[in-house]
Amino acid sequence: MMKKKKIMPAGTKAGILFALPAAIYMLIFVGYPTIQNFILSFKHVDVFTFSNPDKQSFVGFQNYVELFTGSSILAAAIKNTLIFTVSSIFFQFFIGFGLALLFSKKFKGSSFFRGVTMISWLLPVTVAGLLFKFMFASKGGIINQLFVQLNLMEQPLEWLLDPKLAMTAIVVANIWIGIPFNMMLLITGLTTIPEEIYESSKLDGANKIQTLFRITIPMIKPAIMSVLTLGFVYTFKVFDLVWVMTKGGPINATELVSTYAYRLSFEEFQFSKGAAAANILFLILFAVGLFYIRLINDEEEAM
Amino acid sequence: MTKKEKRSNLILFIVGLIVFIIFIFPLYWMIVTALKSQVEIFQIPTPLFPENLTWEPFKQQLSASGDTLRGFKNSLIISVGATGISTVLAIPAAYGLARFKFRFRKGLILFFLMTQMLPSTLILTSLYIMFSELGLLNTYLAPILADATLGIPFSIIILRTYFISIPKELDEAAKIDGCNSVTSFFKVMLPIAKPGVIVAAVFSFVYAWGDLIYGITFITNPDMRPITSSIYNYVQQYQTLWNSTMAFGIVAILPVILIFIFMQKYIVSGLTNGAVKA
Repeated sequence: MMKKKKIMPAGTKAGILFALPAAIYMLIFVGYPTIQNFILSFKHVDVFTFSNPDKQSFVGFQNYVELFTGSSILAAAIKNTLIFTVSSIFFQFFIGFGLALLFSKKFKGSSFFRGVTMISWLLPVTVAGLLFKFMFASKGGIINQLFVQLNLMEQPLEWLLDPKLAMTAIVVANIWIGIPFNMMLLITGLTTIPEEIYESSKLDGANKIQTLFRITIPMIKPAIMSVLTLGFVYTFKVFDLVWVMTKGGPINATELVSTYAYRLSFEEFQFSKGAAAANILFLILFAVGLFYIRLINDEEEAM
Repeated sequence: MTKKEKRSNLILFIVGLIVFIIFIFPLYWMIVTALKSQVEIFQIPTPLFPENLTWEPFKQQLSASGDTLRGFKNSLIISVGATGISTVLAIPAAYGLARFKFRFRKGLILFFLMTQMLPSTLILTSLYIMFSELGLLNTYLAPILADATLGIPFSIIILRTYFISIPKELDEAAKIDGCNSVTSFFKVMLPIAKPGVIVAAVFSFVYAWGDLIYGITFITNPDMRPITSSIYNYVQQYQTLWNSTMAFGIVAILPVILIFIFMQKYIVSGLTNGAVKA
């Protein structure tokens, strides 16, 4: 007993000491820049005042006001980001769920198929984006050719140059990248369902659709919630894919909050305005992130 | 196996195969395009398999410009550096957060979870200012330091689940044998958690290798660009030179493909443990 009492405080100190270096690192390279970004968004900093902190004046909410007034690109970017995220997740989830149901069954080749499918998630997004840029190209692009040959289209479309079509192209590319993530998490969920439950429901005379809705889906609800919230967070902040495929164009048709913030800061050198746009992105993600963390906490407490 | 089972097995196999072929087609298309001549690429209809295989695009990429190999080398330096930092910092942190109860433990775990969800654009401008003041722009260190922030939270989350799953008795046994918490960490815990360490390192590497935003922002010197940034710049320059671009792309994905082939089971476990459990 005596010994334990002695060990506990020492252990406490050790715990903090073990965690400290990583925490300090993240505070310096993530925490501090986050706060700096917050401050920056209330200043006026452009290419002239960038390297001269004395001339950077505080302007209150002016950057935010400017972002939302007039023909606001930011408002359009938020709308685009929502469209991009919701449509990506919708298809990723249903296709991923379908593939999870298929590949969680044991048949010849199933684990091989499932494994190789994961590659699309691992590829550098830059390369995947260029690959899809090529496939959607109006000249030499395989997607146009396929549709024309199947008589679905009369002539090739300018997928990436037509404001009405560009969003479809980047969503399709993003779906391809995200399917494995959805599939793998859902498969893990599926494997936790004990076989006996399926057997007893079969004995009770449930058909396949009833089993899916009454047993499978309720049983893997935690995995489904995780996939959806995490998917939302990861998709909402996508940058490279869009930057590589369309750069936010044509005419802002695929401008996301992330690409707009980057453009403001590093192409137009309106650093403080870019910082404000990035903060808006952060606020939305923060809300969803809190939801996800509550979800995990509930789960851990239930365990 | 009954006849019925055999038949349903065959149907599943055929469905699985079709899904697989559709899904993997873009990768096939990338390889095939890299082996075609420009003429064949713009031919209508373009052949699904190259009629005259040519290694020319690869030869060009690997010799003349030098961009590809240089980018590959730069990416290797940056990714290995970031992986090193991230793994060295994450292992003890995960151990501390899994094994000890202390006042800020829960808050720290939340902090790491949150940092994983932050968009790069949020910290990019401030990091740029910071690195410019420190004179780190156009050095490998800038993307290394930034890329490590992608790997650290993920690695901590993954490794913590590994350390939690190791029975407490092992700790106590080590203590009885005269180990303090530091030596028992190195002698007992680390060897057992090795699979977790590999998962963490693999993911940190893949994250760093795939980064574009830090690479294009912190490094403008063409000689030091990571491969993602140099392929991005290559395309800006040679818009429709698709066979060379795809050959470039294949070189850029090579390490990831190798990791995938040799470490598939680690990747699966990382993907699932990192996201669901946390």
